Amino acid sequence: MEFFNYFSNVFTFANILILILGTIGGLLMGAAPGLSPTMAVALLIPFTFHMTAEQGLIMLGAVYTSTVAGGAISAILLKIPGAPANIATVMDGYPMAKNGRSTEALHYCFISSFIGGVIGILVLIFFTPVLADVALKFGPSHMFWIAIFGVTVIASLDSKSIIKGLFSGAIGLWLATIGYDAVLGVERFVFNPIFSGGINIIAALVGLFAIPQVLSMLEGKQSQADQFQMEKKSLLESFKYNISRIKALIVGSVTGTIIGLIPGAGGQIAGLVSYAQIKKTSTNKENFGKGEPDGIIAAESANNAMVGPSLVPLLTLGVPGSPTAAVLLGGLLIHGIFPGHEIFVSENTAPVVWTFIDSLILAQIFMLIIGLFLSRHSGWIMKVPDNYMAVSILVLAVFGTYSIGNSYSDVLIMVVLGTIMFFASKAGFSAVPVVLGIILGPIAENNFLLGKLIGGARYGDDWMIYFTTGTINVTLIVICIASITYGLYSNRKSKRST
Amino acid sequence: MAFIQIANQREVRNMNQYLKISTLIVTALAAVLLFTSFQEVFNPSPWGENEDYLFPRFIAGGIAVLALLLWFERGDKGKSTNFMDLLPGLGLILAYLISMNTVGFYMASMIMFFAVIMIYKKPEETKDFWRVLLMKLSISAVFTLILYCLFTLMLQVRLPGGLFF
Repeated sequence: MEFFNYFSNVFTFANILILILGTIGGLLMGAAPGLSPTMAVALLIPFTFHMTAEQGLIMLGAVYTSTVAGGAISAILLKIPGAPANIATVMDGYPMAKNGRSTEALHYCFISSFIGGVIGILVLIFFTPVLADVALKFGPSHMFWIAIFGVTVIASLDSKSIIKGLFSGAIGLWLATIGYDAVLGVERFVFNPIFSGGINIIAALVGLFAIPQVLSMLEGKQSQADQFQMEKKSLLESFKYNISRIKALIVGSVTGTIIGLIPGAGGQIAGLVSYAQIKKTSTNKENFGKGEPDGIIAAESANNAMVGPSLVPLLTLGVPGSPTAAVLLGGLLIHGIFPGHEIFVSENTAPVVWTFIDSLILAQIFMLIIGLFLSRHSGWIMKVPDNYMAVSILVLAVFGTYSIGNSYSDVLIMVVLGTIMFFASKAGFSAVPVVLGIILGPIAENNFLLGKLIGGARYGDDWMIYFTTGTINVTLIVICIASITYGLYSNRKSKRST
Repeated sequence: MAFIQIANQREVRNMNQYLKISTLIVTALAAVLLFTSFQEVFNPSPWGENEDYLFPRFIAGGIAVLALLLWFERGDKGKSTNFMDLLPGLGLILAYLISMNTVGFYMASMIMFFAVIMIYKKPEETKDFWRVLLMKLSISAVFTLILYCLFTLMLQVRLPGGLFF
């Protein structure tokens, strides 16, 4: 019960102030397209130099939790996910907002983020020693199968056409191979120096979602401002409804927790995977993609549940569970905290680490309060005229992309990809599978090649054995097959019924 | 009524053509990807077995198969494009990207903001030209100033510099 003893440490004036400011800043940065949680934490690390280790970590933790939830604001209101983790939120959040239910959608988003986030942190507090061993068991072959499992999700995301979805996903996987290969260090498909850095995930995310939105606003096809009537639903009603969707909450939180735990899997896919799961098991599948609250609830509880567990391998093994956790590791090291089992018991680090973890719970509470307050006033952003909105999004997108790596090439890639996506979306292609492909491509490929090297060293020519034996491998293969079969089955069923 | 029906049929035919064209482009793209993935001339590999191209070849093969399957895809309707409204926007974006490196990010953003809200205006906005002009100019300036305070003064992000900022 150490975590309880250090709770009082959080309640100093300075700590609470830092928490509140961090949460507000995190929500706003999360909402800006291109400023991903990873970027936000990286940008704020220099600010922690002047703080004590405790205060610095409290701020970084607050920013980490709230940017993940903040990304949903722009996903719901503008159809532009603030970060890869919020891609799944777009699919039902934006249709809801378009029907005038933006406040309600944001309520669900923050309430389920809060519930998922708290569950994730409780897992971090109580199960860290057990889970650290589990996280250590994951090797390249398992990571490869998880990536393949992620690919199978594609088929169930796009309800209109599976072939178009798979095609877009494959294009994403191919785009991810541009640049230097991480295992062998070979340059691939670099026809011009612009591509030598490969295609950055954030640049692709911003380009594929923001630019088509900018262009369709300029095209004048969708005027947001005067199309619908705002529908007000009271906070209590939203709260009651949200709690009643217990299945979506559980699916989201459990999926998020598991995926956050796996080092390197990237919480980016947590939202998408749980969205696909809830859609598969829901009784009213046809509502998904048209504004089904379950979609938001599952996706948002998953991506916030991922935050706590992604710190388990980070704090105990020094292995970050998500890209943002990797940046956070830098913040830990700067303040003299070296990950390992002993940081929870050592006299020097235990107070800092436990105060940090306790502050994460408080950060969730502040995020809920501030988020709900913001969602009450979300209506005005829908009333901004399209031309103003379009150019603001464009400028922010260019800023976000440039600031990832101070690279002008990233900006060019972002705009070109986005323009192509705009025209492709006219022909019925969707951006979601492409981004998923770009995220999963490197995970699948690098782990396949690593696994092949390990398997080759162990079994010689029969290196496939490394991928197909062992409990975790077999379980993952079964999950993959089940996912594909179920996808095909439910697709056939829904086609027959229409 | 008959007239509307004919118009709708024409619309549908246009849509089908649009989809055909997109499928054609997609197939051509798949062919190019397949070709380049198997061409070692582009990037001769220092590794004997060419493991580095294993994955791209596999994906390119998958893309080619899916592109062929797309020809049999039916039922999904495309959407038309309003090119005349889009062209000035695309031109402005191009100009914005090019000018960013010479006049700097903030200056280019301000000009871009002003240009877009001037060109894409609502019909009811044309009352008093000079007043509107002044108002829009100040909105652009305030927008850029907020960005400058947030990004450069607070977060100290480096952005393409230029003549002014």
